[in-house]
Amino acid sequence: MNRRIAVLVFPGTNSEGETLRLLRDLGADAQLVHWSRPQELAAYGAYVLPGGFAYEDRIRAGAIAAHDHLMDAVIDGCAKGKLVLGICNGAQILLEAGLVPGTAAARRPTAAFTHNAPQPHFICRHVYVKLASAPMRSAITASLDEGALIPAWAAHAQGRLAAGPEHLAELVEGAHVAFVYAHPDGRVDEQAVPNGSALGCAGLVNREGNVLALMPHPERDAWNVNHLQRRVGEALFAPSGGAVLFESFVRAVQRA
Amino acid sequence: MKTRYVAVRLKIPDNQAYTALVVLQRLGIALGQVERSEIYEREEEAGGAAELARRTMRDESVFNPNKHTLAVLEQNVPRTGEVWIEECDTPRAPNRPRYIGWRLFLTDGTPADRATIEAATTRLLCNPAIERAIM
Repeated sequence: MNRRIAVLVFPGTNSEGETLRLLRDLGADAQLVHWSRPQELAAYGAYVLPGGFAYEDRIRAGAIAAHDHLMDAVIDGCAKGKLVLGICNGAQILLEAGLVPGTAAARRPTAAFTHNAPQPHFICRHVYVKLASAPMRSAITASLDEGALIPAWAAHAQGRLAAGPEHLAELVEGAHVAFVYAHPDGRVDEQAVPNGSALGCAGLVNREGNVLALMPHPERDAWNVNHLQRRVGEALFAPSGGAVLFESFVRAVQRA
Repeated sequence: MKTRYVAVRLKIPDNQAYTALVVLQRLGIALGQVERSEIYEREEEAGGAAELARRTMRDESVFNPNKHTLAVLEQNVPRTGEVWIEECDTPRAPNRPRYIGWRLFLTDGTPADRATIEAATTRLLCNPAIERAIM
């Protein structure tokens, strides 16, 4: 399998720099692929959709990007078993494209990351996400420990998982909830959820386990320099807690 | 008092409506124009529709005379060729519109028929997981 990773850039994407740097720091062969060059995507073995505001969140967050030509290749690659990781706006795009939870046809969404609650305001807050499914449920999380606790930054106005009751039940029954919000000590309760997300959900995985959509940004807590409690005396770009998810992703790509 | 709906629409170029038009055309839906309105729910007091319009136009968080045009709707339902999209469980905030109205026109300038509106709604304008469409 092809081990090259494409970091997709839509008009309005703004997290491609740190995403690309982290992937390369972890030894991945990663490149940016812009929206004007969708024909290049087939040559890559895995895709990362970084955060931002693709197409200015017009209509809904992720709605326009889900119909972009880049996503034709991602949908095709997903069906072939390629690994796909979406962070924040990338996660919203994956849900709008129907790739996560992937229980209906492509581009027929059954869930969404939508306006925060109780107040529909933008939040920027340090959070922890906890692996809620078995590590082997997804190839992307396979190298994580059971119940792994990962620091990240939540930076979104539309990060609340919402779906109809039947689809929420489907997410639970199909073990689609990959990550939940947690306290720094690993406890999980409503107070740990910063945005009113249903099921306390921070991240969802598709049925086959090759597509993961995560709302908070672990890549923004991936080095000592941007860790909340910076370790004095260590190199600024020494790996920090958020890197472990990307490390697991890169390992999965290299194993595939 | 009577509940009336007020449609506020950009009179300057509307990038969001244009983006919707381009994507819908790419999806094979033959449209010539898309108009996007924010639909506010208001109470009509003494003075009728004209006073309601004046009152809404004084609300600077809703209406900017340099950018917007306003219509008090005759009936509290979508206009011909229009679909209203409502977010199902998003918390209401002051001065947020009740609906987003998408008014679709065919290439000959006539309002879109119901089948075209349904296609546009299903394929792009409404995410049924979180939104409800009213035609």
